[in-house]
Amino acid sequence: MKLSGIRYLIKQGVDNVWKNRVMAFASFCVLLVSLLLVGISCLFFLNLNSIIGGIENKNEVIIYLQDDTSDQQIEEMGRELEQMDNISSVSFYSKEEAFADLQADMLEYEVLFESLGDDNPLPDAYRIRVADISRLSETLSMLNSMQNVDRIRAPYDFVNVLTGLRRIVSVVALAVVVALVIVSMVIISNTTRASVFARRREISIMKYVGATNAFIRLPFFVEGMLTGLMAGAMATVITWFTYDSLVDLLKQDADILSIIGVGSIISYNDVALPVTLAYLGAGALVGAIGSVISTRKHLKV
Amino acid sequence: MVELKNVSVTYQTTGIQALNNISLKVNDGEFAFVVGSSGAGKSTLIKLLLKEIDATSGVVTVNGYNLTSLKRRRVPEFRRTIGVVFQDFRLIETMTVYENIAFVLRVIDAPRKYIRKRVPYVISLVGLQDKAACYPRELSGGEQQRVALARALVNDPALIIADEPTGNIDPELSYEMVELLQGINECGTTVLMVTHAHELVRHFGGRIININSGSIIFDEMVGGNHEA
Repeated sequence: MKLSGIRYLIKQGVDNVWKNRVMAFASFCVLLVSLLLVGISCLFFLNLNSIIGGIENKNEVIIYLQDDTSDQQIEEMGRELEQMDNISSVSFYSKEEAFADLQADMLEYEVLFESLGDDNPLPDAYRIRVADISRLSETLSMLNSMQNVDRIRAPYDFVNVLTGLRRIVSVVALAVVVALVIVSMVIISNTTRASVFARRREISIMKYVGATNAFIRLPFFVEGMLTGLMAGAMATVITWFTYDSLVDLLKQDADILSIIGVGSIISYNDVALPVTLAYLGAGALVGAIGSVISTRKHLKV
Repeated sequence: MVELKNVSVTYQTTGIQALNNISLKVNDGEFAFVVGSSGAGKSTLIKLLLKEIDATSGVVTVNGYNLTSLKRRRVPEFRRTIGVVFQDFRLIETMTVYENIAFVLRVIDAPRKYIRKRVPYVISLVGLQDKAACYPRELSGGEQQRVALARALVNDPALIIADEPTGNIDPELSYEMVELLQGINECGTTVLMVTHAHELVRHFGGRIININSGSIIFDEMVGGNHEA
């Protein structure tokens, strides 16, 4: 086929969007709703994952040192901990600091603290954070094998709950997204089929005058792709607006924010490009392929 | 040229035998009427000649194409050698008169210059110069049928098949339509016109093929009233 022929068919496809605007609008709406359902669910689960990740990062393991540990041994231990695998932060928490903090926390027991005089019963300690919380037990056994360690306090229950929660969220997210994709595909395929069915007569006329299947399909392909691209663009705008509004709303609520942390919410700017590309790509692909597949049945004239 | 040799068509779903061992030959440049009552097999014959259906047995040859063995992918190429006029016009509603006719030339990838010259010429042949920019819904039945005729002949086909072309138009316009077809035939195009308008056939005369219950019961040259 000559270039002018292809140009004509593409123009036909573009014109057909307007000429068949009622059905094109129906396809546009169905595609838009499907894209938004899948897109917003993905963003929701990404954020949920990020929030759980943020909470995980707040984990703290405290290593209490034996009383007779010398300053030099404490320093050596600090260096050793910093070089150890799966440890994201190390800070020394001296027995003096611990005692002062305890006193500050329990002001009503001032008399009791006075009776102790200079005798500080609290041990020196290291506070560390684990990078990958799912490898906590492995890290703990390494810590246990270190010298001068008296005992270790680790958030076992907290870790179990979080790793379990993350696993459930991942499975639910995958199931929800897959279900939404399947439901969307069924609805989209019905809509495009209805749209093409309304034009089956047009297709049969084209066949009678000797048009090849490719000649008939190309305008449908362009039309479907264009409708999909428009739905993708609209989905991008709606998601952007909704997402930013929701994040602003969340940021106003100090209680929620204190739990999930500001950094855990994914900024739209970080995902804007992939979200836009995914919307436009999925819209164009589903629109174009849906239209072409739907014409198949009517081409057998 | 159209040639059918011992052709039978039986619809598998209903078991009805629509055509029963018919043989027929229409030579290049001929004009023939195919007549018969409803259910006689006329529509089946048209479908067969357009390769919409296949013969259950026998051989169908149209414009040098053996339709019995013609591959699916070569059907568009074959259909480009035929112009078809249907009773219900079958114009594309979203295209103007000009676009409907030009579409046939775009299908064969004709140069734009040729399309710009040929389409207005064909439109003028059927007397619709002022309606080129109209959509089918803006035209009368007779005008739509003339657009369909223009579309059928724009490609300069070797054969024009007209399936009840006067069925949906006024009686006066019916005569005009047959005259137009005869004019095209005089230029060398074979014309096969299916009709049940007996008065029209009687008026014009010529070769008349009468089909009844799937068989050809009459195939002869008859003189027309207008010749008398």
